[in-house]
Amino acid sequence: MDTLREIFDPHFLLRNSVYISLLVGLVCPLVGVYLVLRRLIFMGVALPQISSCGIAFTFALQGWGVIPHVHQSEHGLAFFGSSLFTLPTIVLLSLLVRRGRGSVEGRLGTVYVLAGAWSILLLATNPLGEHGLLDLLKGEIIAISDADVGWTAATFCAVILLLFLFGKEFLLISFDREMAVTLKKNVLFWDALLFLLIGVTVSMTVLSVGPLVAFGFLLIPSLIAHLFAGNMRQFALIASVIGGLTALGGFCIAYHWDFPVGPTDVALLGVVYGLAFLGQKSVGLLKSRRSQAEGGR
Amino acid sequence: MTDEAVLTLEHVAVGYGRRVILSDVNLLLRRGSFTGLLGANGSGKSTILKTILGIIPPLNGRIVLTPAGGRPPVLGYMPQRESLDPIYPLSSFEVVLMGVCGRVKPGLRISGTEKDWAHQCLRETGADQLSRKLFSELSGGQKQRVLMARALATRPDILLLDEPTAGIDALATKAIMELLGKIYAEQRQTIIMVSHDLTTVREHAKGVIWLHEGKVLHGAVSELLTLDKIQELLDLELR
Repeated sequence: MDTLREIFDPHFLLRNSVYISLLVGLVCPLVGVYLVLRRLIFMGVALPQISSCGIAFTFALQGWGVIPHVHQSEHGLAFFGSSLFTLPTIVLLSLLVRRGRGSVEGRLGTVYVLAGAWSILLLATNPLGEHGLLDLLKGEIIAISDADVGWTAATFCAVILLLFLFGKEFLLISFDREMAVTLKKNVLFWDALLFLLIGVTVSMTVLSVGPLVAFGFLLIPSLIAHLFAGNMRQFALIASVIGGLTALGGFCIAYHWDFPVGPTDVALLGVVYGLAFLGQKSVGLLKSRRSQAEGGR
Repeated sequence: MTDEAVLTLEHVAVGYGRRVILSDVNLLLRRGSFTGLLGANGSGKSTILKTILGIIPPLNGRIVLTPAGGRPPVLGYMPQRESLDPIYPLSSFEVVLMGVCGRVKPGLRISGTEKDWAHQCLRETGADQLSRKLFSELSGGQKQRVLMARALATRPDILLLDEPTAGIDALATKAIMELLGKIYAEQRQTIIMVSHDLTTVREHAKGVIWLHEGKVLHGAVSELLTLDKIQELLDLELR
């Protein structure tokens, strides 16, 4: 309780890290539900890696003197680099997934490993040093400025608003594309908008908390929620609440025991997933035993 | 059935990419007709249905859908239930609500009136008690009822059904076909039903389109589905 009181104190030194963790925990799962439903989980792994490669690339361009080094615009530049890599990749990968030819997992795996390798190579060859990117890759959520929080909050608010407004269109084109065509929906447009929202969320999240945490919060809360959801609204809501609570819990644990925040968050998500899975199986077992007993009477 | 044409196919070729499955198809369906679309596996039944629906573009020719009341006709589509991914945690009601999406503009919430209509469609198909259940956990017959409710929720001018009785037991097949017969009798709905089941089509449809070795035979059930004619066509298929 004392830890909670401490971290919510407006003068708390790491308050921005708390806010960012909470934002990521609450919003990433809302986008992640579409990755899970459209069976694009591997894409959820590859995209954060691509995004961090984009960030490393823009910083390397600065280091090599290709673009001028201006400290104030660093965040915006990194976001541009991240989006520049993420958005075309998401479009290309989704097209490959939709066509279903060849080994989709193989391609996604190749993209993942290449992006990881290039991120490290770009870091190693950057004359300005690793530029705090190593901390980002490890999921250290420490050096978050007020401006970072502001930009992330504004972007995530826009994402939530669009997801809320166009939820029925996104759901229809994802669940039954053919039906959407017969209802005269512009399937390509809605697909593109959904992927744009996923891409922007991934870019912003990776920029703030790194690829590890981004991947964790994109997918694991949605997978947990999928065990219990009875309809789509419950699915999105449970995923978001689990994400938010785990982010807060993870931060408290990390702060109390001096662990790195990102890995603690993801490890905690893993524990919650394990417990939820066991809980769901136990309830299922109890129900089937009860119905067997009632049938035997 | 009226004399007014609701759907016309003029020299239409259907297929995927460069692969033509049926060519030079000429058909005219009248408003209020109940037509069974028959044929062997791979004969192009689903392909022609999807071409009419606009899901696959025709490779050649022209498809004319006659406007209904001055607006483009609404097509109520019931796909094969296996084509819908069971990973979606959608309640049956949420599935039916998708049917009203064509009338609700993007960014607007679905109104109470449309929700009531979705409930009414579920009642009409005898699936109102399933509305809160997960669609993915329903039996084959139950899913078909929900999908039929969704197709009705579009307020269709033409109802297009892709193998509505495929893979379900005899009892569920009977129930589904009785339901379809009731909808046809009460609403005089124009229905096109893809099926590979001769008996089902003969018992319920009034007209038949038989896809046979790249040819399209169209006529009344009483003409095309006589024992002699069926024997003749099946003999040709076996040869």
